Amino acid sequence: MKRILWILLGIAFLAGAYGVYLYNKPHAKMEKARVDEQVEAQALYAAFETDEAAANTRFLGKVVAVTGQVSEVTPTDDGGLKVTLSAGDFGVSCELDPLTQHARTSFTAGETVTFKGNCTGYNLSVQLARCVELK
Amino acid sequence: MNRYLLFLFALLLGGPAFSQKFFTQDAKVKFLSETPIEKIDATNNSGTIVLDPAAGRVECKVLIKNFLFEKALMQEHFNENYMESTTYPNATFKGNVTNPGEVSFTKDGTYTAKLSGTMSMHGVEKPADIVGKITVKNGVISVHSDFAVAPADYNIPIPSVVTDKIAKSVKVTVDGTLKPMNK
Repeated sequence: MKRILWILLGIAFLAGAYGVYLYNKPHAKMEKARVDEQVEAQALYAAFETDEAAANTRFLGKVVAVTGQVSEVTPTDDGGLKVTLSAGDFGVSCELDPLTQHARTSFTAGETVTFKGNCTGYNLSVQLARCVELK
Repeated sequence: MNRYLLFLFALLLGGPAFSQKFFTQDAKVKFLSETPIEKIDATNNSGTIVLDPAAGRVECKVLIKNFLFEKALMQEHFNENYMESTTYPNATFKGNVTNPGEVSFTKDGTYTAKLSGTMSMHGVEKPADIVGKITVKNGVISVHSDFAVAPADYNIPIPSVVTDKIAKSVKVTVDGTLKPMNK
């Protein structure tokens, strides 16, 4: 009887510890995330502009590697950075991952870069969050 | 005759500037759910605001998956269980300024703008009235607004085990600096 009680207590402790681990689980590291889709900025923008619902089905919530020419670099209020890649009227907006130590945070208009990040959808521009640069 | 010419001249000069739209794709949208048990907040740096001063029209949109939480589990639950962001990827507000006489988009100053329109999220559309502060300085228009959203109003399911952890009314803050829209 005493043994069963100890086993139950052990199970309750492990369950509690797992719950605490899950609650405090850090965000997955973007630099190690597997790329689901690889695409040029122009093609990604065209996909959303042509058929947003179909593009959402293909890209939304996926890790997308996008290559394009830098058109604009905008600092965010909280010290972050958004890099817009040329495509259509509003481009593909890549917000650098605030949880990653980036090799560089300086980008020049006109240079060609590849970012991977979570595709969060179409809001004038196509938006990618938590981006890291791919070399 | 001179009066008509003057009117035509003013129309030609003032027309293009007056119909100029302003926008941002970098509006900061934050929300805060606060209960005695838990505080949950998240930030989205990519809200879009489009303002048409001539029509007194404002349209805002945020992508739900762009909200970043401190805790990964909260972000996962927010997207998958509550907002169902794969099915409903965005939230919008479209409305009109109801006190246009009290707001000038061309003269420096700080104005209180009252907006009346429709808020849409989680597949539900509801009428919404929002008050915002508009600051015009040297041709730059900044907007700020605080308002509250009740998850129940938008059929956002909150499981009974966490009802005490999620506020009945969630505070939302929007801040943005608009630039002329030339596209």
